[in-house]
Amino acid sequence: MDHSDIFEAVRRNLGVVVYDLDTTTVTLDNSLADLGCNSIDRAEVVTLTMEDMGISVPVMEFQQTRDIRSLVALLARHSA
Amino acid sequence: MTPGGVVVTGLGVHCAAGAGLEAFTDALRAGRSALLPAADRDADSPGAPLPPFDYPALLAERRARGGWVPEKAARTAARSPLGVQVSVLTAAEAWARAGLAEGALPPERLGLVVAGNNLTGAGAHRAADRYRDRPAAVPGRYALHMQDTDQVGVVSEVLGIEGEGCTVGGASASGNIALITAARLLDAGAVDACLVLGAPTELAPLERQAYRALGAMTPAATGAATDHEPPCRPFDRAHRGFTDGVGGAAVVLETAAGARRRGARVLARLAGHALRLSGTSLADPSEQVEAAVMRTALERAGVTPRQLGYVNTHGTASPLGDRTEAAALLRVLGPDAPALVNATKALTGHCLGAAGAVEAVATVAQLAGGFAHPNPWLSDPVEPRLRFAGTAAVPLAAEFALSNSFGFGGFHSAVVFANEGL
Repeated sequence: MDHSDIFEAVRRNLGVVVYDLDTTTVTLDNSLADLGCNSIDRAEVVTLTMEDMGISVPVMEFQQTRDIRSLVALLARHSA
Repeated sequence: MTPGGVVVTGLGVHCAAGAGLEAFTDALRAGRSALLPAADRDADSPGAPLPPFDYPALLAERRARGGWVPEKAARTAARSPLGVQVSVLTAAEAWARAGLAEGALPPERLGLVVAGNNLTGAGAHRAADRYRDRPAAVPGRYALHMQDTDQVGVVSEVLGIEGEGCTVGGASASGNIALITAARLLDAGAVDACLVLGAPTELAPLERQAYRALGAMTPAATGAATDHEPPCRPFDRAHRGFTDGVGGAAVVLETAAGARRRGARVLARLAGHALRLSGTSLADPSEQVEAAVMRTALERAGVTPRQLGYVNTHGTASPLGDRTEAAALLRVLGPDAPALVNATKALTGHCLGAAGAVEAVATVAQLAGGFAHPNPWLSDPVEPRLRFAGTAAVPLAAEFALSNSFGFGGFHSAVVFANEGL
């Protein structure tokens, strides 16, 4: 799947999870924590996005992701 | 007990009959019921539903009216289930009314007792539906949402409560049991103020069906003429079971001395209480134990039956429950007692774990407001020797009020409130 589709899904789900976030300001360089996500929020953005994409990534692998760019890359690898 | 006793300094409520204490008190006074006849609702939906619930809009509306909205209310509970969001609203209302919004007491001296068990049935039902075929998509957040104790976590974070806290389960008696638990925390000196939170229950369709199968809940529509009748008629010979209502309530309790020290307005005093089991696994109430808890609560309050001006019954409209409570009340009060008797569940529906808290708010609101709400559909009482309120509100100058709550599994409880405004 295209990286930009995955990024759009992450951005949309950030809007669902994070109260009052202006999602138009979200870029690939942000970390989820920068955007106000606590650990539960971060996990929910990931599970919602996996649900949208119809993919499943082991939870442990997300520990390597630092920013939205690496998160999108990880999801893209599993959606290929 | 604490010298001077335990007093009520804050109230909050959000249920089908009214959102906020003013609207709720107006509904009580008008005898306005939020219950839908069976013909007007789906068998899988609550009998007394909340109006369409939009949490951010309700917070904004409260802020616009000049009401207090805790800084963390929106963010902390944004993803919470409806029941937790309702609790944040009622908790914040009671907290502000008690004058605790500005951090009047140290966080570690504040307690939280949440009333209710099995609060998350509807959430479990929805999650099972949504994730049955895709377990990998279950969010970690659900590990928090699936627990009744999520109520404690969210509300303590929003209000900054860092003393003792827990949930207290006693089926439909949970509200009273939480009041009693909080009073004991105060008596023991464990906390200086304690929020008692009646948490809403959203039943799953299967749970509602189980109550119907047991014969405790009003039947679903069958196409008969009764489908169009008022669904909940406590103490009337036409009663056909309880009707579930969605709603919660909050009560702030403090020691009388503590409230005086910080100049808090005292709304009522929790003058006595009693809690007993009847040693049964069944749903059956015990007339003897009901009478015993009422007597004990009155004795502990130093109140004779003739001094009692008002009784807020458990009154669910379950035929067995109504007959048993009416008989127990008659035993305790005698045949020509002055106490006015009504049943708030005819207006709010049965809020289950929150019922005792909702009815504590109703009781204090009536004592303070000087009225007893009507029993809108009571025309043929199961026990004519009790002084049931009629179909219109009446003035009430009661010094003491009794509020009963009973629950499946032998829970029997009664609390006595003293009117501090007389």
